Amino acid sequence: MCDTCGCGTPSVRTIHISQRLLDSNAAQAKHNREHFAERGVFAVNLMGAPGAGKTALLESTLGEWRGSGRVAVIEGDPATERDSLRVRAAGAIAFQVETGLGCHLDARQIHRAFHQMELARGDLLFIENVGNLVCPAMFDLGEQLRVVVTSPVEGIDKPLKYPPMFRAADIVVLNKCDLLAHVSFDVEEWKGCVAAANPHARIVLTSASRRTGIDAWLGEIEASRRAFFGQERK
Amino acid sequence: MHELSIAQDLLEKVEENLGPGGVRVLRIDLKIGSAAGIVLESLRFAFEIAAAGTRAEGAELSIVSEPARSRCAACGILFQFDGMIGSCPRCGRLGGELLSGNELVLQSIEVADV
Repeated sequence: MCDTCGCGTPSVRTIHISQRLLDSNAAQAKHNREHFAERGVFAVNLMGAPGAGKTALLESTLGEWRGSGRVAVIEGDPATERDSLRVRAAGAIAFQVETGLGCHLDARQIHRAFHQMELARGDLLFIENVGNLVCPAMFDLGEQLRVVVTSPVEGIDKPLKYPPMFRAADIVVLNKCDLLAHVSFDVEEWKGCVAAANPHARIVLTSASRRTGIDAWLGEIEASRRAFFGQERK
Repeated sequence: MHELSIAQDLLEKVEENLGPGGVRVLRIDLKIGSAAGIVLESLRFAFEIAAAGTRAEGAELSIVSEPARSRCAACGILFQFDGMIGSCPRCGRLGGELLSGNELVLQSIEVADV
């Protein structure tokens, strides 16, 4: 439009784009996945609400771990190194990512952390995401296995209320099963809710504090790792 | 508040597609699947903050919400729904296998020379 008298029309045009949002995270995640595969590291993204027992599950996993590789953990939390200290005390190599107000880990943060950790073939890498049942579901980190940890105190209906998170999961762990005797929580009904959100999710019941179900949990991880690296060789 | 990350990514993509020069973004066309877990109000709010001081400041976010599709786990039919999870219209079973509905696409932008 002419600035002097206002004549004419501004030249308006449409630029066609057709690009997926968050594809830069997806590209970084793909790059991470290639790194993990090259190094022979199996990466597990552990998600779930704050207080579901993700760190406790890692502690008991480390206690029962008899694999040949080491266990490493990238810890994502808005603040403090408390979780890193906990898993380090249990025997893990730990790297803390403080996310500040960030409500999830993203693939760039994992890439930076991974390059500072010097992991070797056969190592098992857990990525403990920020406690949150919403945002982490949208951010692929390049992991080979996605796990959601939940607990009876959260109630049976969380898979229906937070479907993207449960949809993203390969494995859903119901932790704190020692509390089943004390809270109103029907495991079969809950399984139905998980299946509604994600018919393919495998379910494992654990109590990290009592160290029950940890064998089954480790078995699932080992089976997933074999399936992944078996595929890679073909 | 993953909507802020999405708004920032959106803004980067808009900027990349503008190239250099004096233009102003009037409208941004997005297609978002109803099961993607995006709160549109939060996205608009986050975009307003992210776009302040850029060439996209004040641009209208025109969002087409795409219905999602699932396959019923009980009777196997395909059905459409709005929202994050739907019920089978034939047998009433909740959920099932999500076939589409996670789209998050920047379709086009309308710009004006300044």
